[in-house]
Amino acid sequence: MIPGLNLKALLLASAVALTGLPAAAETLRVAMGFDPLSLDPIATSDNGSIWTQLLIFDTLVRPDKTGEGLEPGLAESWTVSEDGLTLTFNLREAKFSDGTPVTAEDVQFSIERAASEESGWSRFYRPITSFEIVNDRQIVMQLAEPFTPAFNNLALFAAAILPKAQVEEKGDAFFDAPVGAGPFMLKNWARGSRIELVKNPNYWQEGKPYVDDAVLEIVTEPSARVIKLEAGEVDVALDPPLNQLEDLDGKDGISTGQIIPYRADFVQLNTTREPFDDERVRQALNMAIDKDALVQGVLYGAGEPAAAAMPVMAYADPELAPYPYDPAAAKELLAEAGYADGFEAQLLVDSGAATSRNAAITLQAMLQQVGVRVEVQMLEGGTQWETTKSGNYDMSVSYATSDTIDPDQIIGFVGVNPERANAYHTEWKSDRLNELYEEERKTPDGDERGGMFREMVQILHDEAPYIFLYHPASAWAAQDYVKDFEILPTSNFRLEEVKIEK
Amino acid sequence: MRVLGNLLRTVSGAAGLAMLIMTMAATVLTPFLSPYDPFALDFANAMQPPSAAHWFGTDNFGRDIFTRVMAGAVYDMRLALICVFGPMAIGVLIGLVAGYLGGRIDAALMRLTDIVWAFPFYVLVLAIVGVLGPSETNLYIAFFLVNWIGYARIIRGETLLISRLEFIEATRVLRFGKLRVTLRHILPNAITPALVYSMSDVVLTVQAVAAMSFFGLGVQPPAPEWGLLIVESIDYMRDAPWMTVFPGLAIVWIGIAFALLGEGLSTALKPKG
Repeated sequence: MIPGLNLKALLLASAVALTGLPAAAETLRVAMGFDPLSLDPIATSDNGSIWTQLLIFDTLVRPDKTGEGLEPGLAESWTVSEDGLTLTFNLREAKFSDGTPVTAEDVQFSIERAASEESGWSRFYRPITSFEIVNDRQIVMQLAEPFTPAFNNLALFAAAILPKAQVEEKGDAFFDAPVGAGPFMLKNWARGSRIELVKNPNYWQEGKPYVDDAVLEIVTEPSARVIKLEAGEVDVALDPPLNQLEDLDGKDGISTGQIIPYRADFVQLNTTREPFDDERVRQALNMAIDKDALVQGVLYGAGEPAAAAMPVMAYADPELAPYPYDPAAAKELLAEAGYADGFEAQLLVDSGAATSRNAAITLQAMLQQVGVRVEVQMLEGGTQWETTKSGNYDMSVSYATSDTIDPDQIIGFVGVNPERANAYHTEWKSDRLNELYEEERKTPDGDERGGMFREMVQILHDEAPYIFLYHPASAWAAQDYVKDFEILPTSNFRLEEVKIEK
Repeated sequence: MRVLGNLLRTVSGAAGLAMLIMTMAATVLTPFLSPYDPFALDFANAMQPPSAAHWFGTDNFGRDIFTRVMAGAVYDMRLALICVFGPMAIGVLIGLVAGYLGGRIDAALMRLTDIVWAFPFYVLVLAIVGVLGPSETNLYIAFFLVNWIGYARIIRGETLLISRLEFIEATRVLRFGKLRVTLRHILPNAITPALVYSMSDVVLTVQAVAAMSFFGLGVQPPAPEWGLLIVESIDYMRDAPWMTVFPGLAIVWIGIAFALLGEGLSTALKPKG
């Protein structure tokens, strides 16, 4: 990539030379659909918060751009002992944005905080039982028993490294004006409207970020984000309506990009209720759905049909195919299960999620073909979660995204019961899957562990506690002068590498 | 019949009534005349602009918008009429009782209307539906709880006024029963302003029903209720503006019809001389 870099540098240099002026302060303006709730990494799980935190804070290690491996963050190098019980990190000479150095003490404080009672992510870090600070820039973490995801979990936003002294001094107020070691510093946060960031002068990646300021404009309406982009009010629009992608790409001065991140969309089935307690019924529902038509009609081609409620990520089985679309076979299965005349059910959907709403309407029409009469019920997203959590539902359109590159997080969420969400509120339970989950966490990374994941996903596919829908693409649209913007497989985006070349 | 005659003699009344009858006829006839099913998906024909085959174009699911808008009239008219005339009946009753009986009952009932009146209409309806959960039934409950206020106040005011008129004094002298006086002599005279008000109320209610769907709190998809049609069209407004425009025009059309009818009624019901 060095030749490319040189060419760009040359172009940039000549551009500067031609204008004969020093470059003015460059601001990158991004229209984002979510308003962050909090900048405290252990208190949040919403995308707006996570994405913003990852611009302000840094972690020891972080997922690389391909989403297939980890790359150094604040840790310059590390070693993992053969038994997986000892993790040693060597910190680089990094500084927080206020100039104080990032020390091993800050690391211990931050990870212990992430494992504490008030953390929403504590079970990710509790297996790390002790810390040993060798010196300011070396820390050793000990696990009492093998826990393979531990290393990966340190790449999660919840394990962001915070300056101990300041957090202890300011308490919760720290997160209103946080100080981190990430590429940007928070300048101003007007809730519900915009987040203004400025370049962190002490960022460890020298020369980056390339832009001087970044502004995240909160624009909840997808079409409004696109209009702002076309009017030149923003440089990047996240998640434009998928049906507008093609048109947008054809417009002068605007280009679009998309990636299928680690995400799977599905319909949760309440397996404690009839008829969803019958595996045959659940399989029949899967066969009644034309997934290709959904991808075309609802995602406008920007996505792939899904074979399970798992994103396609590490250890995924390329052979696992989605349920075939076969309404006749679906009807037969329903008849076999005693529902020859179909049944009635209610389908919950987030009223604010246009794509899910369209999917629900399509599902309603498709299920009608096999005699299943679905009544769509729109709910506010938060209420939908509470409703499915309490078990007071039949079916519900939802999705899961992975914030890490290791499938442990997401299989624990969608497949394991009892666990965090009891197989994402389906209350479906497979003893074999639970067993594999326990095993996988003790098995070192490699083929054996991969086999366990493949078996778990296969069980999930076969017993079908969900109607598996699709893996939708995440898209963005940007002005042509914005270079190197992309969405990562973990759904977030980095801005330190983005350039504005007007 | 005399009222109808008077109504038809006013330009606005005749026009409003004609528009309403046209709408009703189109609503009733469309299911028989349209070759399209308002609910069947046909992705291959998605987002077609208006044409001879699809007068209002098709939506993102390939459904014929003309058929859907016509089918949607049933939802909007039903909701609006029930949400206006149901609460109106309650309001009229309460207004009569308060106005005729007076005293403490009147004071109590009027304080109650003050309380409900103190909240902005949308805030209250949103709060009630929010608590009960979104559905058509709960929408009715919310409107019934809120919408009677205006009628109660109008009728009470009229009742107070009419009770002091000579002909009511006369019924007292004649020792007519209270109930008979109220129903036979006060109500017919007091109802006129309430009836006129109800026409503009229908207009506001059609909008409110559409707005509730817009917030996701009213009628549920895939019902072709007009507000729902609009909310579903937002992301497509730039590629397929017909998806938004025609349901919007339908709301405007029905609004004008009732507004004209109200205008005509107020003229037709005005006492001569």
